[in-house]
Amino acid sequence: MSAPETKRDARARRTSPLLLLAIAAGAALLASGASSCGARPPELVAPTAAPAIAPRASIAQDSAPKEEPRLVPAEAWLRTYLQLFGGLAPLDAQARLRGADGAQIFDDWATYASAIGLPDHRFDLPRGTQTNATMLATFERLGEALCARAVEHDLQGPKGGTPPGPPPLEARVIFAFEAPSPGTKLERASFEPRFDVLHRTFLGYPASLAPTDRTGRFLSLYQDVVARHAAKDAPKSRFTPEQAGWSAVCEGLIRHPEFQLY
Amino acid sequence: MPRPRSPRRPFRGLAALPLALAPFALASHAAAGTFVGAPPSPAANVAAATPAPARTLEEYRRFRALSIDLVGRMPTRAEIQELERAGFDLDRWIDARLGERGVVDRLLRVYMDALRLEVSPAFTVTPQATTLRRVQLKGPGGAALFVYYRLNQRRAREATDGEFCLTKGESGLQVPAADRVPTGEPIEVTQKVLDANTVEVKPWWLYGDYRAGDPVLRYGDAWKTASARYQPLPALLNGPDGKPASAVRVCREEAQSGATGRLLLTGRKRAPGPPPFDRLRPLPLDDGYAVQHKAEPIACTSQAAHTLSSECGCGVGLERCLPSDANTADGRAFALPDSAPLGLDRPLNAGPQTLSAWRRFWWTQEAVRFLEDVLANDRDFRDVVTARRTFVNGPLAQFYQAPTSSTPPQTRRPFGLVDEGEPLFDPARLPKDLLVNDLDRWDRVEDRGPRAAGVLTMPVFLTKYASRRARGAAVYQAFLCKSFLAAGVELTPSDEPDLTKRAGCSTCHATLEPLAAYFARVPETDWSFLPPASFPVDSPLCKKNAQGKAAGFCAPFYDPAFSDDAHGTLRGAYAARAHVDEGPAGAGAELAASPDFATCAVERVSSAFLGRALTSDDAALATSLRETFVASGYRMRALVRALVKSPRYLDASPWSSTLLRSERGATAGGGAR
Amino acid sequence: MDAHGRRTFLQLLAGGSLGALAASQASPVLRALAATTAPVAASAKDDFFVFVHAAGGWDVTLFADPRNEKRGLVDPATTDNTDVRDLRLWVDAPFDGDVKSFQIVQPKGCAIPFGPGIGGLVDHADRICLVNGLAMNTVSHPDGAAYASTGRHLVGGRAPASSVDTMMANELSREQLMPTISLDFPSFYVGDALDRRVVPLRIGQVGTLTRILHRPTFYQTSGDRDAIGKALADEARELAAKADDAEVFEGMALQYEGVRRMLGEKLEEALSPAALKKAYPELDGKAKLHGARALGLSFAAEAMRRNLVRCTSLAFTGFDTHASNYRQQARLQQEMFDLLAAFLQILDRTPHPTRAGEKLADRTHVLVVSDFCRTPQINLAGGRDHYPTGSAVVISPRFKGNFVFGKSDAAQLLPAAARKFQDGTRAIAPPDLLATFVSAFGANPRAYLRDGEVVPELLRA
Repeated sequence: MSAPETKRDARARRTSPLLLLAIAAGAALLASGASSCGARPPELVAPTAAPAIAPRASIAQDSAPKEEPRLVPAEAWLRTYLQLFGGLAPLDAQARLRGADGAQIFDDWATYASAIGLPDHRFDLPRGTQTNATMLATFERLGEALCARAVEHDLQGPKGGTPPGPPPLEARVIFAFEAPSPGTKLERASFEPRFDVLHRTFLGYPASLAPTDRTGRFLSLYQDVVARHAAKDAPKSRFTPEQAGWSAVCEGLIRHPEFQLY
Repeated sequence: MPRPRSPRRPFRGLAALPLALAPFALASHAAAGTFVGAPPSPAANVAAATPAPARTLEEYRRFRALSIDLVGRMPTRAEIQELERAGFDLDRWIDARLGERGVVDRLLRVYMDALRLEVSPAFTVTPQATTLRRVQLKGPGGAALFVYYRLNQRRAREATDGEFCLTKGESGLQVPAADRVPTGEPIEVTQKVLDANTVEVKPWWLYGDYRAGDPVLRYGDAWKTASARYQPLPALLNGPDGKPASAVRVCREEAQSGATGRLLLTGRKRAPGPPPFDRLRPLPLDDGYAVQHKAEPIACTSQAAHTLSSECGCGVGLERCLPSDANTADGRAFALPDSAPLGLDRPLNAGPQTLSAWRRFWWTQEAVRFLEDVLANDRDFRDVVTARRTFVNGPLAQFYQAPTSSTPPQTRRPFGLVDEGEPLFDPARLPKDLLVNDLDRWDRVEDRGPRAAGVLTMPVFLTKYASRRARGAAVYQAFLCKSFLAAGVELTPSDEPDLTKRAGCSTCHATLEPLAAYFARVPETDWSFLPPASFPVDSPLCKKNAQGKAAGFCAPFYDPAFSDDAHGTLRGAYAARAHVDEGPAGAGAELAASPDFATCAVERVSSAFLGRALTSDDAALATSLRETFVASGYRMRALVRALVKSPRYLDASPWSSTLLRSERGATAGGGAR
Repeated sequence: MDAHGRRTFLQLLAGGSLGALAASQASPVLRALAATTAPVAASAKDDFFVFVHAAGGWDVTLFADPRNEKRGLVDPATTDNTDVRDLRLWVDAPFDGDVKSFQIVQPKGCAIPFGPGIGGLVDHADRICLVNGLAMNTVSHPDGAAYASTGRHLVGGRAPASSVDTMMANELSREQLMPTISLDFPSFYVGDALDRRVVPLRIGQVGTLTRILHRPTFYQTSGDRDAIGKALADEARELAAKADDAEVFEGMALQYEGVRRMLGEKLEEALSPAALKKAYPELDGKAKLHGARALGLSFAAEAMRRNLVRCTSLAFTGFDTHASNYRQQARLQQEMFDLLAAFLQILDRTPHPTRAGEKLADRTHVLVVSDFCRTPQINLAGGRDHYPTGSAVVISPRFKGNFVFGKSDAAQLLPAAARKFQDGTRAIAPPDLLATFVSAFGANPRAYLRDGEVVPELLRA
């Protein structure tokens, strides 16, 4: 079977840079020695038996598999997005994402199709298999739209809904937890379980297993956004500071590297 | 911040384990729902402490990857909860997914990416015989009026024979054959003239029951069962005044519904001077075919019927024709999606499209339905290049019931054909009760005819890859995973027409020309078929004369470079004459019999799931998968099952061996990065 | 080795004897590693690049390699097969009775004989370095497009090397806000040795970019977005440190930062189609055949003026004229070259954003290629099919102007030997042209191209 060289091949063949440096250094030493000793007769060294090298430590062979992460196929990304939005068909979701704001927060799927990596076989435009800045900017725009509408639905409640206010927990799609009362400063202990709900929703596993201090980082993000919106000179927003904070956490997760890759 | 870990629940890996759980039902990605409706996942009780992880990160990631590849999306919270239940059986979960829609979509995507079966908008499909153009007139009383007609329709009335059915004297307009608006100042058409030359019809695009004697189920009104995907543009639904039309007015000849017509013979001779009756074109003369076959009727589904008979129309409710919203061959009529990557029922957009786009769209959908059937029913995957069955809905049945081609039928007359003699899709095999406007009913046609061969004889393939060589190269690439590469070859001037021998060219063409020869009977940029009886590989009719030239009508079909004074050689046939009469089905058989077919299928599917090309490291896996695939009778389900249960796939998602080692409790250190 | 350690090593590698080894020996990994630190010509760091792909395969006999006589296989363009009404430079030449071919277009002082398809670009002949008789060795669109832009034929349907826009972006513009924007150009990013920031930003239309970058103001502040972007970049970096394949995550970190910068620059207003049309009316957005790409050139001009982008690559479409649409081939060429001529005039008058006293034209390099050319014969449908010869146009202060290199044979339009290369006397091929292009800016062609030899004759002294 023939295949183009891949990172996997290259990685398998990659010579240790340190080893190369050592070779280079050795080569340089040999070269310098040759020039300075050029006039002398060659030195003869009698062979001697090499002593056995004593083991100094023992380490296990690393048999752990190594693969690079894959970009989530555009179709799977799109289905997930729609599932997160409540399982709507794309055009229905588009209508709700646009809402009364026209193209302010969402244009139309056709605008984003190429940017999120969908192929267009009519024009032989291939599938995108790598992220780029345009793709991430598109994910940001789409993520912001979803999270904004989700905050409106889950945390604010539909306008004119009865009873007024947020729907019951079981009717929420993203923020399936009780938000703290307005003005409540959220500490790690109270942030953590709520964040865990979102982390499972978007990234598919408990936040406590994250390989980074994700909970701490997102708590900081939440607090930063809440503080910005609570400031006296804060720009006008349709969100309360807490809602803006949760929206930011939501966006951070739907735009997260682990959301885009698998 | 590290958290104390709770004891993990037993994770039933891939070994055969007792089934502690019934497989949970995944919410279908196609399930309807609303943002304000029931949420897809259970809510969390945050009053309690965050639940301790029940699985390792590796297990969660693996499950997520499987969900993306087998379900077509990331797992929901509910699905993750199922994973966390004690005794969850991943083996069984995978097996359940293999029979679901998500896997079909995944595999469909692999092959649509390989074959790219969507035709460029630059390719227009506008057969005259099945296209109704539209002219706006000033009707009786001065109200604007639309009248539909076919280009070059023969009419018994001399003044309008081969033209629009009203003269300039009657309408004030001259209607050009080109895609331009009529010229002249409209005058009021009298009711008498109108009734004499046109009739009102309740067409298929307005009525769901257009085949009934008096259709009543109008679109947007009584026709409640119209497909959500059926969206005629307002220009078709309304009259010039913008009000809903209950019927359309059509030239009388076009409105006929007979199955056959008599050939029109006028005995007309070429007349000097300008065209009479203020016509733009001279009166048509009798066609040679009509003279020779004057006693024979012609089938009104024939591509040439409207140019040979004044008795052939568009059928009941105009069902053989597509309406255009202007005096153009490729006007707009329906709204359609540009893109439906999630399936026909979940398009990303829908907008006004041309008639060509309508035809191209359904061509693609035919291939999609066909591939879906192979994948969803886990049929022998070789069927993709060999099966004679297909699926049609209303628009496809309309396309196939009147065989057309992209070349004028006159070009085939010298070879004794009035039009296509043996279409690749025999119209007699079409379901009789399928209505043109039924977009959602997909009928299985078990046998399209003896020359059918999977996707290879579908119009979408034949026009996407418009030349014989392009078709050969496409199947070589898609199904054998091989490419024609000529790097480093120097092309030098040569008079050798045989590319299998010509220096530099032969490296590729020695293989390509015989493959291309299977498609020699399907002309370039066409989907029709040249029957052997009329177009033998070696035709004395197209031999070269003393001056070394063949008859002019031979040029489209016979290649002078390989012809001599005894016969002409069919284009594309020279390198493998035996392949020509085998046709595309021969190509399908050759592909299916190749050992590379299974290898290629394994390579395509594996590299798609692994997200990278296979390398020499994967040789053992590829061999094993190939054996499984072949032993299963070329069933994709067996291949996917073996692949997603292989360590290579399962280990593809934990992309950090550092973390993996830590989770598995292995000793750190060592190993190659 | 962590990213920093690796870079340190690479600096050593590039500066020492192993640098030369890596650059010259066969190991692709070492070559690629060396590429990440290949010395950039300081004088090229403020240069801009525009790459154009005439998609579908152009007919070189109408502009670059003009033929107006029947000779061998060559059926020239005539009034029988070409719509000449709108061709400004078409002057009838005798052919066959009433059927006329065209007179060669060669103004006084112009060393290059052109056909009428060259349009307004003929006025800039003193800047044109024309390469004829390119050995394309393919008649497949995807392969030809990839070969022209990467110097490699497809392998298994995939491009095995990066395209020239990616090469130049990697070499010169990793820090640029948008290293390379690709408007349907055959752009490829291949391998793991290039900087992830230079993955081509593929968009279908100019308007798409501004719509993607639009952000509403009634939910979140720009500060919120910036904070999210920063958190994600930090996450990506941390993941990179733990991943087996750090490049993907490192790349995402860089791309998150790129998005933050894009939003910070408020590109939406500056690069909107309406603003571009207003700013560059001479790039006729209403151009009948290439209107959308006129906007692409406006985008390139404005993005360069603002120093936002290093490479803009775009495709002009419609050249695949197998049938009666061949009648429009010359018009397609004329309109494309008219737009390029107007673009050059804009570059002539627009100050360079960072180099005082210089114009964009002093620092902008344009390369125009196609999949291959079209057959010398007119086919049965009145068009021309695919043919394995090519031409390319280079307009660059670093390349000779009013200069033509390479040729095709008179009777069959096949590539003819151009000079003696290291592997013998042969025609010039895309890898040679790309190697020459890359080398012109101080980059080591071997870092990017497996094949090809620099052709110094094309370059200014």
